[in-house]
Amino acid sequence: MTVSALEANDAKRGGRSLLSALLLPIVLVNILVFVAPVANLAAMSFRSAAATGAMIEGFNLSTWSSLISDAYYWSMLWRTVWIGALITLVALVLSYPLALFVSRATRAKALLIVLCISPLLISAVVRTYGWMVILGDQGFLPAMLRSFNLTPPRLINNQLGVIIGMTEILMPYMILSLLSGFGKLDATLEQAAETLGAGPFTVFRRIVLPLSMPGILLGCLLCFVLAVSSFITPKMLGGGRVALLATEIYDQAIVTLNWPVAACLSVLILIVFGTALLFYGQLSKIVE
Amino acid sequence: MPNLTRRKVLALGALGVAAPWLSKASAQERKITVAAYSDIFEDIYKRTVIEPFMKANPGIRVDYMGMPTSAQNLGMLRAQKAAPQIDVCIMDVVVAKAGGDENIYKPVTAEQLPVMKELVPAALIQGVPGPAVTFDALVLMYAPGKFPSPPTSWKELWDKKHAGRIAIDAPPNLVGVGLTLIANKLAGGGDYRQSIDKGIQLLAEMAPLVQTWDPKPNPYAAVANGVVDLGVGYNARAQTISKQNPDRMAAVMPEEGSISQINTINLVNGSKQPEAALQFMSYALSGEAQSRFTEELSYVPTNKNASISEDARKRTATTPERMARMIDVDWIEVAKFRDKITEQWRRNVISRS
Repeated sequence: MTVSALEANDAKRGGRSLLSALLLPIVLVNILVFVAPVANLAAMSFRSAAATGAMIEGFNLSTWSSLISDAYYWSMLWRTVWIGALITLVALVLSYPLALFVSRATRAKALLIVLCISPLLISAVVRTYGWMVILGDQGFLPAMLRSFNLTPPRLINNQLGVIIGMTEILMPYMILSLLSGFGKLDATLEQAAETLGAGPFTVFRRIVLPLSMPGILLGCLLCFVLAVSSFITPKMLGGGRVALLATEIYDQAIVTLNWPVAACLSVLILIVFGTALLFYGQLSKIVE
Repeated sequence: MPNLTRRKVLALGALGVAAPWLSKASAQERKITVAAYSDIFEDIYKRTVIEPFMKANPGIRVDYMGMPTSAQNLGMLRAQKAAPQIDVCIMDVVVAKAGGDENIYKPVTAEQLPVMKELVPAALIQGVPGPAVTFDALVLMYAPGKFPSPPTSWKELWDKKHAGRIAIDAPPNLVGVGLTLIANKLAGGGDYRQSIDKGIQLLAEMAPLVQTWDPKPNPYAAVANGVVDLGVGYNARAQTISKQNPDRMAAVMPEEGSISQINTINLVNGSKQPEAALQFMSYALSGEAQSRFTEELSYVPTNKNASISEDARKRTATTPERMARMIDVDWIEVAKFRDKITEQWRRNVISRS
């Protein structure tokens, strides 16, 4: 090995140790505020609680086995996944044209972006209360329908209310993700396709949509994860009829005090997130 | 500096030298933290119990920590088990029992708290670490404008004319659990320890009429704001809100009787100021403090010596005719099958709405 090669190796090693030293604080913070609590949560899921809610000392599998053998929790898991997926899909369908319009705006683009994401400046709780006012029995929408001599359907305290509220709450995240994905769109490609005789629909299907897939996938992942983990809006707009994993975790932890069941469900929700991430990774590879 | 004389300078110097000892003396003021319900309870409890206690005991400072629910109160202490920051907890008897089983609360005796001898027998509950400090009961809340005459029966909840205008907190909330026991009695279900099936069947018939099983922020606001016409809640809060908004909400204890709710006062195991905490508990359980609290918030006092005005008594569940109609419930027993009640509601009641 030559002297210069040895020097290069030393420099590389020095660079690595500097990188490790720089990474160390954030790694330690993550261990403290993320890894340790998650490990604690996982350990809690192997404990059990008495009927009164009192925690029983010692580790066992009884909480897991009772959870897994209960069909109610499986149906809740399925409901959580499909409602999360439906909210994500509706948010995508509503956000896509809006984000495309904003990304192509030539005037006041910055203002339009701010307008799209401005709902994030208001707490989700406040926005959910807003939906309660609009969709409630005496709300604006049912009153409008009644003025046309129509009987309004129940828009709140059910799944429909949760889907409407959650979609609106998650739309800014979807729009932001789509806008970041639209950066890859090159107007000249569309012009080239048009010159070759492609109609607007073909241009959209063959050029715009494939190129915006990274943004779509990112937005879907973000919205799905947020929809599955959200509990305030389902709790407020579901009227106790929409039992999801997140609302059940809240009830078990805060109302019945059964922390081991709450911990098991939290681990389950982490598995759902992990699966979603796995799908995202695979789909991203296919898209690229 | 025309007024600064040599004498004043010396006095100031002496004060400076004495400062460490002065701060030590002020540090001897004992501080305890009491965790109990937030909202109206907090406002009134601070005014009627905590402030008079601090006035009578200038050496003890009491900080109040408002908690939305008893379960959150216990949850906070579970997290602080190694070094508790709370000294006294006021909470529902079911949660207190769970905390006692986990050694989070220390059982207190009449030797430590002689005031316990002044309490009614029902205030001393076997297996619960602290004595009862208030009693309450479930009531039917209604919008007076929608009823020509006040409802008299729980059966009003099954009247189809109220379709979509009823708010009920479903189990695991204890209001829903209590309503199950009431429905079981209405349906002639017999001893709730044996079976609650008839009660569940009856509730399933009511289910399609219910607008929400989880009223937000609570059933009191839902009735008072006109979102629903009927709801079920606790008497003390309902009476206070009804007094503030007499045209918008009223509460009645139906003729079939009701279910009691018990709040206990508990000493935290590992409290750094156990003597000051016991001193506070003794005051909170005294007839004087309980009378003052009941005058403003209609909880039933547990101290036999509490003297309350006729007006306040009418609003509580303590009138003889109301007491005679109370359904006897052992909440510690009920807690053991609360999960089953919740499950039955999910499968057979909520699913039908």
